[in-house]
Amino acid sequence: MKKILALVILAGLIPQPLPGQERFRKSPPVPEPLQELKLPAIQTLRLDNGLTLSVVPRRNLPIMNLQLIIFAGESFSPAALPGVATFTAEMISRGTADLSVDKIEERIEALGGTFLCDTSFEYSVFSLSFLETRLDQALELLGLILIQPAFPERELTYMKMTKFYELLEKNRDPEHVAKRQLFRSLFRGHPFEKALFNEDTIKNISRKDVQSFYQKYYRPNNAQLVLTGNLTNQIASRRVSRYLQTWLPRVVQPVYYEPPPANDKETICFVDHPGTKDAVLYLGNVIFPPSSPDIFPFLVLNQVLGGTPNSRLFMNLRESKGYAYYAYSELEFSTTAGLFIIRAKVAPNALVSSLQEISQEITRLGREKILTYEIEQAKSYVIGHYPIQLEAWDRFSFKAAQINSFFRLGDDHWNRFYENIATVDAARVSEVAQKYLLSRPMTVICGDLNTLARPLRELGRVDVYDQKGNFLYTMSKGEQ
Amino acid sequence: MWNMAKATLLASALVVCLAGQDISFSPQVVTPLSVPISRYTLKNGLEVILADDDSLPVVTVAVAYRVGSVNEPQRKSGLAYLLEDLMFQGSLNVSPMQHISYINRSGGETNAGTTQDVTMFYETVPSNQLALALWLESDRMYTLDITAANVERSRESIVEDIRRRKGNEPYLESFFIFDELVYADYAHQHPVVGYEADIKELTVEDVKDFYSTYYVPNNAVLVISGNFDKSKAREKVEQYFGSILRGKDVPAPPLPDMGEKRETSRNIYSSLISSQAFHLAYRIAPPDSDDFPALTLVDYILIRGKRSRLQKNLLQKDYRLVSYLSGGIEKRSHSAVFKIFAVATNAQMAEESQRAINSEINKFMTGFISEAELAKAKDILKMDFINHFSTSLDKAVFLAEAFFTHPRFDEILLDLDKVLRVTPEEISRIIHRYFIPKNRVLLNVNKIQ
Repeated sequence: MKKILALVILAGLIPQPLPGQERFRKSPPVPEPLQELKLPAIQTLRLDNGLTLSVVPRRNLPIMNLQLIIFAGESFSPAALPGVATFTAEMISRGTADLSVDKIEERIEALGGTFLCDTSFEYSVFSLSFLETRLDQALELLGLILIQPAFPERELTYMKMTKFYELLEKNRDPEHVAKRQLFRSLFRGHPFEKALFNEDTIKNISRKDVQSFYQKYYRPNNAQLVLTGNLTNQIASRRVSRYLQTWLPRVVQPVYYEPPPANDKETICFVDHPGTKDAVLYLGNVIFPPSSPDIFPFLVLNQVLGGTPNSRLFMNLRESKGYAYYAYSELEFSTTAGLFIIRAKVAPNALVSSLQEISQEITRLGREKILTYEIEQAKSYVIGHYPIQLEAWDRFSFKAAQINSFFRLGDDHWNRFYENIATVDAARVSEVAQKYLLSRPMTVICGDLNTLARPLRELGRVDVYDQKGNFLYTMSKGEQ
Repeated sequence: MWNMAKATLLASALVVCLAGQDISFSPQVVTPLSVPISRYTLKNGLEVILADDDSLPVVTVAVAYRVGSVNEPQRKSGLAYLLEDLMFQGSLNVSPMQHISYINRSGGETNAGTTQDVTMFYETVPSNQLALALWLESDRMYTLDITAANVERSRESIVEDIRRRKGNEPYLESFFIFDELVYADYAHQHPVVGYEADIKELTVEDVKDFYSTYYVPNNAVLVISGNFDKSKAREKVEQYFGSILRGKDVPAPPLPDMGEKRETSRNIYSSLISSQAFHLAYRIAPPDSDDFPALTLVDYILIRGKRSRLQKNLLQKDYRLVSYLSGGIEKRSHSAVFKIFAVATNAQMAEESQRAINSEINKFMTGFISEAELAKAKDILKMDFINHFSTSLDKAVFLAEAFFTHPRFDEILLDLDKVLRVTPEEISRIIHRYFIPKNRVLLNVNKIQ
């Protein structure tokens, strides 16, 4: 059970040391010098059919993980058919000419395996973890599903039904609804908007659409395979070539688009979510792509503002004012753009005050100097947390893929990550705060209209949307 | 394939070196899973387990106490869980919120958990902060700040949590009722989270007594796993924990009473649930039994993984008997039960699902399981076993819990080999022995309008 929410600050209750206790008990120990981060070098090579293969040596367990990245996400779906990229990725493992979906699942289990796929704005990632003794069988299966997918009509129908109920189920979560509306508002008219397909739009996707997307983008020269485990480049390339050499390359037409523009005007959206007790807030704006050098000071900035319960937003909105159940900030990236997001769950009667406090916290960061100790604490968190995030094998492998493949970041984000954060100073943090936080973020509120009607009327112009993202009407300040 | 011949050879060569209190079983580790583990005991009785792995600069400290809901007296349910919460509310030199904020600032993560048998606390931090985690854990083992205000705050938060969960999880109450059917004694029947009425009556004295009885070094195990220098770690452990006074001898937890062996069935009714559901259990052999490795495989064959027999036949798309299915072996210190919980699509399908489960069990009885199916179950299990060692936290939690619940901790890495040696004949024998009507417990959760 998370203890964080159960805790409150109690001034004056700091325990006094007992007489007789050893001196070392009275204060926390001084940390040892930071241990060097020595991550394995990622070796990358290109196979004859154009597939990029990266090998990440890791030896502490007899398992392996592969991440296959197809460089075509929802931005690449046809304009009239949002969702096709997602359906193509999910249908890949649902039958080949010779293997039914049941047989494929049996084969995955026989690897001791776990298979997952995820489609985002600009790519699809397939992850397979398996016993290291099953490398051949894992690659053979990957080859079969990648090269000979059958996209059975029956499975597509089933997938549509599953997705339909999944989307309906997600609508029950006000946080999901709020975040989706934030993305819709930020990406209106941009190819990223296609990732926000709803239960109505997927009805029109046909087997032909999926096959066509596959033919266009599922090519070795538009893919990268990242293999993590106890193996060398030579072994990896030999084995991968053996099972994937019949995957034939074809010219893949590049899709060009600019990153979505940052929001620069005061915009508040509301989505009604009957029955929800609290108000869920999502504020956000488009920032730089992950390849920008601004990422390092911005990671520190995010930590100061809202990365953990020790950060300003949580301490202010929850601990000091008691408005919120939580208040955090976070960053999300795709290849061409980043997103800066603030999320909070607040009491309905504290909605207006919470938005004011959030706005003030953002403004403070852009205008006031941040104290050195706060910067150093934030850096200590970012550095200390980095290797913890990498411990689990699938996360380690995904991070390697992220850095080496779809974000193309290089060693600055791998072995030089520590030094890139350590050299961030208050001036750099202030610089990125002024550069990115002074434009107004898009604001989304999700909650029960009956409970929130009064505070919403205090906010000025509020655009009201339904849960599918359709604009309904505008509320104005004081309007009944 | 794992090399079985090598595994057997290594297992037979297993020699536990006893050098004073120091037990090391790293060189004898079987199969490719190389997990160096060493163990020793401080003078105050605190058991220490060190498991080092230098792959990343991360370390986890876990402290587990052999106390859980089974140790709670009648009408004092929820004590163990409440004390878990209190452990974050301040100790001698650490004020409320400080434990979490110290760990957070280092980039680390901390959490805790209570089961029927064990209460565990852990911190994962960058390696250079090992001393911080040890300092924090030692401070709350040394003297916890138990005040009326702290108890009240924890009580309120837990009661609110129970109410919220009951509101959000309409089947929750049925899980509590089911345990009352499966176990015959109060200690094992009641929920870890406690009954609201009991929690409201807990006094500061109850909490202090519980803490001073069970939160003592001679009832705890400390695990350090990850990247650390062994000799420095031992020095620090001695510094922070060595001078904490040994407690009185800790009363042994009560053994479970599984009642008279007979088929048990009951119906309950709820207007809150969305659809008819049922809980089904078979009382099986305890974890220290020779039958347990084969039972573990039955668990995998029946319900683990998408293509296990029950998942396939009850949940798969063409045969929508149930909309939700979960289960597996519930292992406690001295008992084990194979449990299934299913939400059926309607009342008729609930009955049909139960018939389908019976039919799968009967198939086991009338014919051997195929080598291919058994091999697949073993592969999934092998991966799950390896994943216990995936992160420093996974490893620390697994070792700390196993220390109190595993019948022969020093042989823990041999568990996998025992399971991998199970034959189809043993599976069949086990099914005949345990999956029989007199071990069966059924609770139907009926929907009323």
